[in-house]
Amino acid sequence: MNQKQVHRYLQQYLEATNCHVIEKSPAHFTVKLSPEADRILTNRPYYWSFVDRTGAEPETMSFLFVTDKEKYDAQANQDPGSEPSQTTTTAPAATAQTAGQMNNQVNQALARSYGIVPTQVLAMNRIPRDDVHFGSKRLKQLFAAAQDQGSYVYLFQEPDSRSRNPFDSTPYTPWLGINVKVEFQCDRKREELYSFGVSMATGNCVEQFHQQLNSLKMTPRLPANVHIAPAGISLKKAVQTVEAALERKLKAQSYEWAEEAQKRLEEEQGIVRHYYDKLLSSAAEEQKEAIQSQYDSRKGEIDWQFRPRVTASAINCGIFHLAGIG
Amino acid sequence: MADNMNSTPNPATGTASGSSSSASSGTKLHPLVEFQFDRSWQDELQARLSKNGPWDDWTLYKLAVEAQEAEAIGSFDEMQCLRTLPELEPMPHQLSTAGKVVHEMGGRAILADEVGLGKTIEAGLVLKEYMVRGLVRKALILVPASLVLQWVRELNQKFGIAAVAQKKAHMWHYDVVVASIDTAKRDPHRDLLLNSDFDLLIIDEAHKLKNKKTTNYQFVTQLRKKYCLLLTATPVQNNLDELYNLINLLKPGQLGGQSEFAANFVVDKRMPKNEEQLHEALSTVMIRNRRGDGGIHFTKRIVKNIPIALSPEEMALYNGVTGFVKEQYDRSGGDLTSMLSLVTLQREVCSSRDAVFLTLVNLFKKTAEDSPLRPKIWELVDTIKQITSNTKAEKALELIRQMNEKVILFTEYRATQEYLLQFFRSHDLVAVPYRGGMNRGKKDWMMDLFRGRAQVLIATEAGGEGINLQFCHHMINFDLPWNPMRVEQRIGRVHRLGQTEDVKIYNLCTMGTIEEYIVNLLHEKINLFELVIGELDHILERFEEKEAPLEKQIAKMMLEASGDSELKNRIDELGNTIGQLRNPKAKSPSSKQKSQAEIGAFLNRVSHEVEVRP
Repeated sequence: MNQKQVHRYLQQYLEATNCHVIEKSPAHFTVKLSPEADRILTNRPYYWSFVDRTGAEPETMSFLFVTDKEKYDAQANQDPGSEPSQTTTTAPAATAQTAGQMNNQVNQALARSYGIVPTQVLAMNRIPRDDVHFGSKRLKQLFAAAQDQGSYVYLFQEPDSRSRNPFDSTPYTPWLGINVKVEFQCDRKREELYSFGVSMATGNCVEQFHQQLNSLKMTPRLPANVHIAPAGISLKKAVQTVEAALERKLKAQSYEWAEEAQKRLEEEQGIVRHYYDKLLSSAAEEQKEAIQSQYDSRKGEIDWQFRPRVTASAINCGIFHLAGIG
Repeated sequence: MADNMNSTPNPATGTASGSSSSASSGTKLHPLVEFQFDRSWQDELQARLSKNGPWDDWTLYKLAVEAQEAEAIGSFDEMQCLRTLPELEPMPHQLSTAGKVVHEMGGRAILADEVGLGKTIEAGLVLKEYMVRGLVRKALILVPASLVLQWVRELNQKFGIAAVAQKKAHMWHYDVVVASIDTAKRDPHRDLLLNSDFDLLIIDEAHKLKNKKTTNYQFVTQLRKKYCLLLTATPVQNNLDELYNLINLLKPGQLGGQSEFAANFVVDKRMPKNEEQLHEALSTVMIRNRRGDGGIHFTKRIVKNIPIALSPEEMALYNGVTGFVKEQYDRSGGDLTSMLSLVTLQREVCSSRDAVFLTLVNLFKKTAEDSPLRPKIWELVDTIKQITSNTKAEKALELIRQMNEKVILFTEYRATQEYLLQFFRSHDLVAVPYRGGMNRGKKDWMMDLFRGRAQVLIATEAGGEGINLQFCHHMINFDLPWNPMRVEQRIGRVHRLGQTEDVKIYNLCTMGTIEEYIVNLLHEKINLFELVIGELDHILERFEEKEAPLEKQIAKMMLEASGDSELKNRIDELGNTIGQLRNPKAKSPSSKQKSQAEIGAFLNRVSHEVEVRP
């Protein structure tokens, strides 16, 4: 993921979770989190349980997310005193700033008569900065949040509104869509992602289903003038179709890597056998048990380390209602 | 949704953990390869369908897939971890070492680079690579107690690995734990650890495990681990059995049984035979890099001694203290151990009057009220009162102003540090302190200030973790420790990998005092300031094999010498002895040195030369 992709990813996440973007440039976002995003990103369980129990108005945190450190710092240096990318400052931020200034003056006046007044100003002015890049903790957190909240969907394709006859009813077909991660593992590891779609009407199975969905507009609500084709197969049957398709694809692969791993495994086992057999044959009786248990444990380690295996797990899945009869 | 990414098969049963057999299908894709498909998602989807929700957001659904696509490990071979570490720039030999461990050695290796080539970085790269690939979740890192925090910081800062230092029992359950081996092997930790499965075990300073009879050795043998890294700069010190033991820890039986190893590879304890086969066997379990002869290792160190003539008042204090110290020593009848505070006094008098004053006051408090010492101490205090200015501090100020760049100034004494802070402040020079007693947060804060607007960092502590000052290339030794290792540590803060400028070292040296001799000893005789990193270790090790530690010897000479010229001669002599140790080949070698030379030559033959550039 390059900086641009990270930037776009962040933007999509912020929009999807209804965060308020105060200002942005191609190198950063300054954002006030929505309550739902704050719960997930700021790690403040006590605060949120306080809000939940007392019904207090939640005060969410603001962040400066920098997606292009060099560019952002260069901007900040060029423009000392003022925040970078004033150019894209949106109206609410500007008003917030003037309000902040007024607040400041008021507070200064109060401070002269009463001493120091604790205010929100400090919190408003100090927005924590977070450099977001591929591999950073924040992005990992976003990945995990997306995974957590993007697991199961039930969606309808949005009809193309222009070319439609209002008295026509468009037939829709429900599809089971699933994205799968496959891990090929020995002492080393490789992964592949697959995406399958199975028509619940006909049992027809297609690959690269997600890529196909990506270009479509989807909505959680049933559009008007749409009728859904009845399911011809059960979910269970659809699932079996997917599993069979995946297994067929995987069986067609080369397993040279597994053969090599098995060879390493046997070599290592041979060395260990040679060593411990000798040790056991010459050991005193009372030591044998300890040696045997060490031997077994070492055999277990080698198996753990080298044994070739393949595992698959679902990334996410859902039911997609798409236009047409599939 | 069950995320199986980091699932670790249990070595005992050999099945994938987390998914019960009812929730997954087990078939064979190939005679050797079992296939598991986690089916938990089906039930969840069915449940949501029958309850009519709740359903997730379409954008987040797509983002989840995009995340998996970004993180997917496309190939067995390519190093994956670097793209997640944009700030890290490992050196080529570190990268190739990490790659070799992961791709060719199955993740079990002895990393035996020479000192200063970055074994920690190599181990960090291996750990990170395995974590990124989802092959390691749980890792245990056993290091000497003094290095625990340093490891935690490096892993966190350089590698973005959330490592913790083990402090409480429940912390063993964290994924990546750094602990001292002496803690780990003790109850109640011991049983807990022996009942865990570690995806990766890293042991730093592994040469401490060369003896297989020790409890540490046996403990490490019993730990269950998938991958294992042993880090040491000296895989063999005295005899080849040490190497055998180390390898047996990593992979029992790799070099056969003890007797086979002896028969196949050993002539006597130190001479290997069948070297080619031994090299071959070693190359599957050990990687050793050493500095190439031709490479530019580090930037240069430029050393300048700044002679300082004390003012008459300061000289009077110096002479007063020297006389006092010697008198006390003579009276005690040559008992060195009780003389510690006096030696300190002698060293402090070269630093600042403030430091002397503090020690004198403490000494005064300790002596009995009717002691004849008390008036003498007062006399010295009176002498201190005569001093109005600090020649050394003024010289330091002048130097710093001339440089007009970041400077780190080292002193041994708190009192001097306080004095200098005030002195510099009164001359509008921004300086910040740094000392061992500060807590982590404060240390970090001081570092930030120094990186920012402060021109000078005044440090009393050179050892310890966390001060990496590559952005600064001037250092001033306001006073010099008598222990050369401490001087080397000071220099090491600034002169290290990553330093791009020549490092300028200024030694402030008051003429006509013991400091003059010390500077002479360290600079001219030991040539301390120009030694290659790591070389001093070896020299001192050789020296202290036969003799008392250097600083102790200096103290003794100082107390015993009848006059300046005798002191000078004796320190010179000491310097010559050490100077000879730098070149053991020049002398007729003792048998011990000979054997070490043999082992050294052997190690050189199994190592790869690398060019190390800053």
